[in-house]
Amino acid sequence: MAGSGKVHMRNTGNTVLSVEDLVVEFALSKKTAVQAVSGISFDLIQGETLSIVGESGCGKSTLGKAILSLLPVTSGSVMFAGSDMTKIDKEAVRNLRPQMQMIFQDPISSLDPRYTIRQLVSEPLEIWSRGSAEEQSVKVDELLNSVGIDPTIAGDRKAYEFSGGQCQRISIARSLALEPKLLICDEPVSALDVSIQAQILNLLQDMKERYGLTMVFISHDLSVVKAVSTRILVMYLGKVCEIATPDSLYDSPKHHYTHALVNSVPIPDPSKKVARVILEGEPPSPVDPPSGCRFRTRCPAATELCATEEPQLRDMGSGNYVACHHPRG
Amino acid sequence: MKFKQLGIFSKASVIWLGIVMFMVVFGQWIPLPKPTNFDIDAMGVGLFDSLKHPLGTDSNGYDLLSNVIRGARPSMLISLISVGIGGLIGSTLGIISAYKRGKLDYIVNTLFNIVLSVPALVLGLALVAVLATNPDPNIEVPTSRRVIVIILSLTIVIIPILGRIARGATLSWSNREFVVAARSMGMKDSQIIMKHIVPNVLPAIYAVAFLAIGVVIVVEGSLSLLGVGIVDGVSWGSMIARVRGDLEYAPHSMIVPVVVLALTVIACNQLGDILRSQLDSREGRL
Amino acid sequence: MSSLLSLSNLRITFDTPRGQLAAVRGVDLEILAGESLGVVGESGSGKTVLSRASMGLLTMSTAHRSGTVVFDGQDLSTASREAVRDTWGTGMAMIFQDPMTALNPVRRIGSQLSEGLRVRLGMSRKEAKKRSIELLQLVRIPDPEKALRKFPNQLSGGMRQRVMIAIALACNPKLLFADEPTTALDVTVQAQILQLLSDLRQELDMSMVLVTHDLGVVAGHTDKIAVMYAGEVVEYAETKELFANVRMPYTEALLNSIPRLDQKSSGRMAVIEGRLPDPTQPEPGCAFASRCPYVQEKCQVEHPELQKADNGHQFRCHFPLGVAR
Repeated sequence: MAGSGKVHMRNTGNTVLSVEDLVVEFALSKKTAVQAVSGISFDLIQGETLSIVGESGCGKSTLGKAILSLLPVTSGSVMFAGSDMTKIDKEAVRNLRPQMQMIFQDPISSLDPRYTIRQLVSEPLEIWSRGSAEEQSVKVDELLNSVGIDPTIAGDRKAYEFSGGQCQRISIARSLALEPKLLICDEPVSALDVSIQAQILNLLQDMKERYGLTMVFISHDLSVVKAVSTRILVMYLGKVCEIATPDSLYDSPKHHYTHALVNSVPIPDPSKKVARVILEGEPPSPVDPPSGCRFRTRCPAATELCATEEPQLRDMGSGNYVACHHPRG
Repeated sequence: MKFKQLGIFSKASVIWLGIVMFMVVFGQWIPLPKPTNFDIDAMGVGLFDSLKHPLGTDSNGYDLLSNVIRGARPSMLISLISVGIGGLIGSTLGIISAYKRGKLDYIVNTLFNIVLSVPALVLGLALVAVLATNPDPNIEVPTSRRVIVIILSLTIVIIPILGRIARGATLSWSNREFVVAARSMGMKDSQIIMKHIVPNVLPAIYAVAFLAIGVVIVVEGSLSLLGVGIVDGVSWGSMIARVRGDLEYAPHSMIVPVVVLALTVIACNQLGDILRSQLDSREGRL
Repeated sequence: MSSLLSLSNLRITFDTPRGQLAAVRGVDLEILAGESLGVVGESGSGKTVLSRASMGLLTMSTAHRSGTVVFDGQDLSTASREAVRDTWGTGMAMIFQDPMTALNPVRRIGSQLSEGLRVRLGMSRKEAKKRSIELLQLVRIPDPEKALRKFPNQLSGGMRQRVMIAIALACNPKLLFADEPTTALDVTVQAQILQLLSDLRQELDMSMVLVTHDLGVVAGHTDKIAVMYAGEVVEYAETKELFANVRMPYTEALLNSIPRLDQKSSGRMAVIEGRLPDPTQPEPGCAFASRCPYVQEKCQVEHPELQKADNGHQFRCHFPLGVAR
């Protein structure tokens, strides 16, 4: 699965974000380093939602932060709004920030407990001096209303007085204050109850339409991203396995890892056969990844070729791309 | 937290510190015998023996009550100033180094550890010996200079104590997602430190600062005891130092300042604990 | 089959600064020997409190209990602390959501695993080590001898949860409580752990209570399901029956809010509007009334009793679904 290659890149005129050969390394000691993201490429067209799916440790969150230059990038490029974020200086990156915002996994910890909801949501407006204090206040009320929080009741309370779902609504309101082009959601619902998850996913969809957002949606849960994505990118140990549209990905996953992921999702219907465990073991350590295809140690279809040669992404037709020597039929 | 909700021990601590602060501010104007005047007719008056000297006098005839009251100002001011300045410098260093990480953090942390490894008393003694002595033994070193040197040495003691607290708290707070969120909104590092790190780190620093005041009062007393304190001035430490030879025949002259000093240290610790537990309970709610 | 654990009219309240918080409000449940029960509910529904109270783990002074808990013929609600403690490990055992915090980080796996064996079963060091290896084999940990010498942080989340299961099974309990055992794990690992629990239950002929917020998790792995809402059991049935004939509007709403991979997506997802009622202020009517799409006047004023259909299907609703209304 160690997938590299760029056949899936579309060079259309309205590309919002284009990531090429992105590598992010963390130094473990003076001599060794671990590659959390090893050569990922993808692009994102205006109005799309790209979901990045993978298990913990596959590098999906690192990828999200690296896109926003919240982490130092080792090599590769991130083209956004006409500049390569990895090449321009700190101040230039900072000036691009209003156009790209992020929503985090832990809704409570992403809000400073010292400030009221109103102060938190107006913070981005203050940083960039958008409008007078009065205009800002009007904007904050409007934002809170749009995410279903009543500013007159909740505005002067602090984040820890709210439930996880409400905090996530507040985070969403804050991230939209600057009217960004690109919104990166890092596991925005994985800390929430199933019933609340649906509310937040719907809200994100509404906001996407209302503000014309382009989104990157990072999740470990294939079922969550189903309703929101236009394209899904499956990651394993820092590499791309498969990129596909949701319908073809769920109906006929081409990569063996994707297949395993799809079949591991529990189905709330006892009449459907429970999938026997189809994937043994756990991902190997990213410090010392397997040669060739990184998934081969757990793959049911692995051959010698997989150990020696890294599969490149190839076009399977109808918008599907897979990095596998022996894709499923 | 309201005063009413405090435990009895905590209430007593708050009240005692109130009394001490009253002595610091108004002690000079309370009509009492001058602390530097010795009463030849009343040397070694015991506790509660005389109306004129309610807490008695020491073997030189100094009135203990007025000494305790007027000694509050130098004792407390030295502590407050050194904890204040040391806290300011220490927290600034701790917060910035923990936020920036890397080499700066390594250097600052090493410095903190080096200073911490030198006992406070030794450091104080060394500094006083170097900075507050005169090559000509016949010329007295002015008290003001001694006070400044003592404050300086106590400040140096405080910097790494509070600095490390600030560093630890900053390390944990700067990992919170709201700090990353602030960066992703385009906040500058300086703004993040002022708006999101400092307000969250301050309570931890306050709590330990109160404990530090207790430590500093004791160190200042010990310096006096060793003869490098404020010799001719009045402070609780120098009171103890002055009567250290009289313990056998006038024990109360030692007991009075020791009790006052001990109560103040205990009250400071207690107040620090209250702040600490309030902090923990709020943290617990997160 | 005989009754292993039976709860009757169990109520748990906590003293809080805002008054009495009723976490469990009159629950009757029975678990038969060898049976597996899924307890499903949102956070705050009382499902975790229920399982802890059944084991007698709520010993803090702010918790109050009424009603009875009978385990294996013994009334634990009147039994002494020691008698309750004696049921732990050998009678009932529990595994938790977060295997990282449930294991002691500074002790090796081997010593944590053999602790119960040596204390509870009086095994010698050698016997305990032999049994520990057997247990790790039982939970399918590769190279168990090596694993014994590791610290928890040297194992992955899935492996830690396997160790937790091994510890819980050390003294051959009759009933295993699994409180959100897979919530902190990745989907592929979740599938492994759920399968492992199912297999072990059959191998060891053990009863199991699987507490979770995810109906998908219990669907394939339990015999019966109890759905909890606001401290009450609102629906109880055999798993197949429950999914085939949902009676309680809450269960239906919960089912609809789960994103399904086996169905075509329709864009927007169904949601349950509103929130759980304030547990310190119980309402007179049905607890779900304020969020129920089928709410009628009667629901606001009269608290519904648990009704029982002939096939054992129980539900707490004045106007159950699928029945002429």
